[in-house]
This record gives sequence, structure tokens and C-alpha cells, in this order.
Amino acid sequence: MIINWERFISKMPLVFNRRQVLTSMFASSAAVLAVGSKPAAVITPAHAAETLDRAMLIQMGKDIYPHDGFLDDKPYEDTIDGIIKEAEGDEKVKSLIENGLSDLNARAQKIHGKNYSEVDSYGAREALLRQIELSDFFQKVRGGLLFGIYNNKSLFPKFGYGGSSWEHGGYIDRGFSDMTWLPDDPRKNGGNE
Amino acid sequence: MAAKFDLSDDSVVVIVGSGAGGGTLANELAQQGIKVVVLEAGKRFTLDDIENDEWAMFSKISWLDKRYSGGAWHGAKNHPTLPAWIVKAVGGSTVHWAGVALRLQEQEFKMKTTNGDLDGANVLDWPVSLQEMVPYYEKAELKMGVTGKTTGMPHLPWNNDFRVLAEGARRIGFNEIVSGPMAINSVDRDGRPACQQIGFCMSGCKIGAKWSTMYTEIPKAEATGKCEVRPNSMVLKVEHDKTGKVTGVVYADKDGKVQNQKARIVCVAGNSIESPRLLLNSESSLFPDGLANGSSGQVGKNYMCHTTAGVYAVMPEPVHMERGTTVAGIVSDESHNNTERGFVAGYQLEVLSLGLPFLSAFLIPGPRGWGRKVSKALEKYQYMSGVWICGEDMPQEQNGITLHDTEKDQYGLPVPVVSKTPHINDVNMTEHAYNTMKNIYESCGSTEIYNLPAYPASHNMGTCRMSEKPKDGVVNKWGQAHDVKNLFVSDGSQFTTSGSENPTLTIVALAIRQAEYIGKAMKSGEL
Repeated sequence: MIINWERFISKMPLVFNRRQVLTSMFASSAAVLAVGSKPAAVITPAHAAETLDRAMLIQMGKDIYPHDGFLDDKPYEDTIDGIIKEAEGDEKVKSLIENGLSDLNARAQKIHGKNYSEVDSYGAREALLRQIELSDFFQKVRGGLLFGIYNNKSLFPKFGYGGSSWEHGGYIDRGFSDMTWLPDDPRKNGGNE
Repeated sequence: MAAKFDLSDDSVVVIVGSGAGGGTLANELAQQGIKVVVLEAGKRFTLDDIENDEWAMFSKISWLDKRYSGGAWHGAKNHPTLPAWIVKAVGGSTVHWAGVALRLQEQEFKMKTTNGDLDGANVLDWPVSLQEMVPYYEKAELKMGVTGKTTGMPHLPWNNDFRVLAEGARRIGFNEIVSGPMAINSVDRDGRPACQQIGFCMSGCKIGAKWSTMYTEIPKAEATGKCEVRPNSMVLKVEHDKTGKVTGVVYADKDGKVQNQKARIVCVAGNSIESPRLLLNSESSLFPDGLANGSSGQVGKNYMCHTTAGVYAVMPEPVHMERGTTVAGIVSDESHNNTERGFVAGYQLEVLSLGLPFLSAFLIPGPRGWGRKVSKALEKYQYMSGVWICGEDMPQEQNGITLHDTEKDQYGLPVPVVSKTPHINDVNMTEHAYNTMKNIYESCGSTEIYNLPAYPASHNMGTCRMSEKPKDGVVNKWGQAHDVKNLFVSDGSQFTTSGSENPTLTIVALAIRQAEYIGKAMKSGEL
């Protein structure tokens, strides 16, 4: 099976602004992701949570990119809420998510006799996700998280990533060569040999 | 000041593409007073459009028209629709390149003579030598503003990421450790400012310190009053008369309307995927296998994209690799043709800083790149140092650009399939390079090292290669088609072999040399 994961990129909007829910995709079908550098702050209506199991999706997100002790739940919640909001407005996405979740629970029941979220070891949950990693459902959630966590400007400082610099005059006066734990090399100022 | 030419004006030189080859050629011809029409498939951007945002710029400037990856390289699975990472815009891939401006080495122009035939490879000597190229390399270095001896411009200061590579290289006994030559201003020069170590070189340089035809050759060509650039113009076909001379091109203009531009000479510079694709799509009863493909059958073959890989290592203390230029320095000790290592040719080690957004997608590329291994590594982003391995890859006939049987793109043209299967020499070189990088990073105290497979290719070469004899290649030593006198190939497709160096400087030097040849031939009436 070919996962057309780059296809999502051409569908990304050029400007990330406000609280938009961005669409893109990670998979070969018409699955559409909700992603963004600033995930939408969405209040999930109660009825949606019943069919689209928010807690399970958040658990899944935390298992895809686990950052226990490093990140709190907010980026996961924001990303999942963005996906849920999108699913509410798009039947195809909704059934992709619902079917994906129930399939995942069925797999967990078969092996562990309980639902996915109740399987208590990370390794066991990861193994379940590895079974479905090439599915559109999985790649949709994963794609959302990839952007919701690692392309999320509000989290850049947490990872120690400086991000956009031109508006600050670059890094020329902001530590581009400030390392002291390795010795200075006499050639480090350039020269033209 | 920009010129405006009639579609029916058959005295113009039509150039397809505006990157390192096409953009340079346009300016060099226009400076001689020759009338030029540049047809560029992409949009025209300004510096205002450039952001320091990896994904935003990726989606803004990349060539994302439908393409497929083929062959046995991992990208056929992990990058199935993105075989190459190049640009669709005025300026072409010079918007995205990182500025490394190395010359090819003497033996790299004659790999067949140096190493003999290599089983399974289609190695050939270039019909041009380093000695012949030196004056053109010097012209290219002056034009582009390359740090080093030719311009006298100092190399750029070392950033943290390069200091890790350099110190590790020193510790394992390497000597060829330099932060240049780079076509990035280290001082104000040619109306462009000195580098401010902004980073994001591959998203486009926000201040224009890095050379790009987007804001150097193209506006300079237009200022002569002899050059017209038509953006959003996708060339569909090169046309010829019954004698086999090309007469013009058919293209889809900015409104999608099909136009026919007449020409005295056509120069194809659409990068090594689009150039052969255009020639193949220009088949006719006179040229049933594609234009300029009759003598050799080599159009679209021998596709090379360097033997490449990435290595990222977690260092004991912070590095902040994002601070400063993307490719801040080069280690060349392994770039020579030392066959005792178990392979021919060589490789460069080039620092490559990735931001958190790109690293998260490429640390383990493709749909399986998730899980604790990825997330825990990314938590150490600020401790990471990274390098790109760039080595010579072997030309092989079966690696190449073919046309999809059924699928068409938005212009109605068959979609290109880009196939690459590494030669065993490429595989052995990659293993050697991974091991070298392990030694380098471990010598600096790293205990956690990630080997990344090749990225989608940015260095695309060889698909209309130069050859002494018409049976071995598509173009002669001037980039002129063996089979069609007034048709030229002006980009990296001409490369007979890849060398281990980033191709841009050589593409520019060849374009300067080609412009000189075309100018003389037009004057003498030969063309």
C-alpha cells in the first residue's frame, strides 16, 4: 500500500493565521486533516464526543508522539478537537474516524479483552497502532499531531527551537556561534583559503 | 525596461526555465544584445513572499505537480509522489539551494578513464576537462559572489552546527574543513547585503545575501531591454520543421491558454526531470523516440541525484543548529577517488541544519516515522547536530525519467515517473559515510546517532548527458543537441557524471560557457 503522505503538503494553506482549522492530508484517499501551527481552540459539543471518542483520540495522539513529562495535554487536545470539529462538518471524515476507532477497539478487545484506552502498557498500545499505521485513519491523526506539535510555534521554545529569525536581524548577534563546550578552532572566523 | 516580444518573432532565443542554468543563460545572452524569451512554469515571488517557516515555504515554492517515485530507493514507498525537492518559481531551485559552490575535481570529469568500466553502471568521461572549465568557474564565482580566493570575499564565520562537525573531523584526523566556498555574501557585494545568519536558506534568503537568479540574473537580464520573462508559462512541446531544426515552443500561458512562441534557438533548462520530459513529449514522426533522442536513446536515462543520506546526533551540550546558515561548512577529506575504501568516487560531508518542523518529518521519513523513538529524540532538538552526505552516484541506464502510461497532469501531459535504484557502489559509499559520521560525532561525545535515508532529491542530473560521441549521450560539450543543431540543454541534465559536489556552480559555469558559444555561432551565422 502506498501512503501518499506528501500530498497533504500541497493542500496546506500558505498562511497560518488566526485560529483556522487547516486542511491537509497524509494518506492516499480523500482523507483530510485538521492541522495548524496554532490549533483551533474548539469547545467540543457533547454529542460529538459520544460518537467521536475524544478521550480515545487524545490517548491515541499521546501514544503516537509521546511526550510524557515534557508536554502537557493541551497540544494533543487542541489537535484532536480540530479533527473532531472537521469531522462534524464532513461525513467522510466522521466515518473515517468512527470506523477507525471502533476497529482499533476491536483489535484491542481481541488481544487484550479490553478497549484500546484501557490497555495499560504503552508498548502494547504502540503494537496495536503499528497494526494500523498504514491506514488513512491512523495517518490522519498522526498528520494532525505532526503539525499540531512540531509545527506549533507556541511549542518551539519548549523544544529549544528558535524559529523565524529575520525579524530579529537573524542569529548573527543572537548566539549562532556561542558554543563553549567544544574548543574554539582558529579557523572559525572564516578566512578565504 | 523588460522587453516584450511577439509570439511570431522567430529571431528570439527561447529559454525554458529560469534557474541556475536558464536564468544565467538569459542574462549572459541578453548582455550580448541577444533577444531572449524566458518561459518559466512557476510564479514570480519577491523577497516579501519569503518567510522563515519551513512548511509554509515548502508549500509555496516547491514543484508539487504530479510526479511518481520509482525504483528500489526507499522514497518509492516513503516519498511516492515527491521524488525531487525542487522549486517551481522564477529563479528555479536557486531560490531553495543552500549556496554551496564547490568546483568539480579533475578526476570527476573523467571517471571512466580513472576507474575503467564499472559493472552495471554507464560511466563516461565528460567531453570537457577541469582545465577547460577553470576560466568559467572563475566567471561563475565572480558573478555569484562566491566566498574564497576568486572574489577575495572571506568565508562565512562558523556556526555551532559546523563547529561540531569540524571539531569531530579534526579529532579523527581530517584536514579539509572549510566554511566555504559559498555563494553567500560575507560582506556587502553587488547590491546585496552580507549574510545575517538568519538560517532558513532553503526557504529562500529573506535578504538576498545568497545568490539566486530570482534577484540577480533575471532582473539584470531584463534591465538590458533584451529579455522578456513570462512566469506561469509551462512549455508543453518543442516544435521543429521538416529539416529537423526547432522552430519554437508550444506553452500554456498564465491563463491556461495554449500559445506558440517562435524561436531561432531553444534552450531547455527545466531541471533534470522536466527537461527530458519535454524532449520525450516532443516526439514527432521525424523524432519518434523524442526530440534529440535518435542517435543515443539516452534522453531521460542515467538519472543521478547523488548518493545522499543524513546523520543527526544528540550532543552532550546544546548546539542550536538552527542558528545560522543551513549548510554552514564542508568536510572534503572523503571526496577523493580513494578506491581502497571499497568503492570508486567520493563524498562530501556538509552540515545541514533542519528546523524542528522538518526534522520531525524526516528523522524517520514516511508513514512509519512515529512513536517514542521519534518523540524522545525530538525533545533533544537543541542538542542535535546534523550533516548531509553528498557523494557521487553512478549513472545507470535504467535510472531515469519515463512518462506514465495513463496519468496526465493539469496540462494534459503524461506524468513523469522518476526511478532510482542505487548502484552497489552507492550503497557501499553510504555505509562508509555513515560510519565516518559515527566516528566524528562520537569523538565529540555523542552517544545517540540517527542515520536518515536520502531526502527527496534536490540535485537532479544526467538525463540529457554530454558526450563526445552522439551514440553515448544527448548533447555535445556545449550542451548542444547532437541531433538538433539549434536545440540546447542548459541545466544539470547535461552532467555526464555527478561528481561529489553540489551541482549549481557547475551549471552556472556551463551556462556562461554555452552563452559564449551561442553568441559566436549566431554572429557567424552558424546558428
